[in-house]
Amino acid sequence: MRPSVMELVGKYKNNLYAVAFNICKNPDDAEDAVQDTFVAYFSNRKQFETEEHVKAWLIRVAINKAKNINNSFWRKNKITLDESMETLAFETEDSKQLFETVMKLPEKYRIAIHLFYYEDYTIKEIADILKISESNVKVRLSRGRSLLKETLKEGWEDD
Amino acid sequence: MTNKEKYKQAFSVLHTSENFSPEVEMMEKISKKNKIKGIVAGVAAVLTVSGLSTTAYAANLGGIQRQIQLWIHGDQTTATMEIDQGNYTISYVDENGEAKEMHGGGVSLDAFGRERPVTEEEIMDHLDMPDVAFNDDGTIIVYYHAQTIDITDKFNSDGFCFTHVTDGKKNFYMTIKNDGSYGIDSDKYPDTSEFR
Repeated sequence: MRPSVMELVGKYKNNLYAVAFNICKNPDDAEDAVQDTFVAYFSNRKQFETEEHVKAWLIRVAINKAKNINNSFWRKNKITLDESMETLAFETEDSKQLFETVMKLPEKYRIAIHLFYYEDYTIKEIADILKISESNVKVRLSRGRSLLKETLKEGWEDD
Repeated sequence: MTNKEKYKQAFSVLHTSENFSPEVEMMEKISKKNKIKGIVAGVAAVLTVSGLSTTAYAANLGGIQRQIQLWIHGDQTTATMEIDQGNYTISYVDENGEAKEMHGGGVSLDAFGRERPVTEEEIMDHLDMPDVAFNDDGTIIVYYHAQTIDITDKFNSDGFCFTHVTDGKKNFYMTIKNDGSYGIDSDKYPDTSEFR
């Protein structure tokens, strides 16, 4: 199967944006990563088995695109996370604090946490997307959760 | 609320801008542009500059223009580079006779944490360093000058790969992590403990 780009843009642009923002921490770079991801899909004639497979591929590419932008010496969007935060309208103060705390986690924990809590992926699926072992995913989730609990205290349940 | 519900509520604020709607025609244009960008990325890693010590041969309205040699997939191409306030433009003609342009720029932090445009020397130094591409198909490639090294299967069980590249004069020791980060040093491999 191969859904049209526009169909995928409608369905997944915000999922890809969220995962890219998690890495880039600024809206312009995140949007560039999403744009590059759809360009990669458009330019590539790959066939997929299921729609879940398409989504996982898009997320993996978005992560790589965002990392490439982050690593680029020519990174042009220099706004800070604090400046980015000012543009976001959080529903509650707790949501804002959770968001800020997650963004302060080391990147490798942040991505695993995001794929688990936002995308509802299983440990095996996260391992497939990040190309790391399941035990490595478990370690990243566990350390990420501990750091969140340390800061958020009762705002984050033990799970 | 469960942790997942809290997390989703917090991150539901993230969405693309309202005008984000890449149309297919636009995607085709972007696709072409992206191919050029891909070449640019490669070029950045295999770019060597001739006549660095020579005087700029032309200048206009504050920009400094000079001639450089580009290596694109083994083909040497003469190009012009203009640097102005930390931003550069490189123009060259590709193998099909098509005029190509690429742009870039950056800032550096001084000792007081203030941003300043990168200098020409910093741009040249950076352009002359090895680069790593983490490709969509999972391959990981190191580019340096005309060298292309596929390191996809060279990572140890901790996810690190150590690669030494040289042009016979300069040496670069690279520690590359499979999560997309890497470090370069001219004397020794950057320590893995520096990777978070």
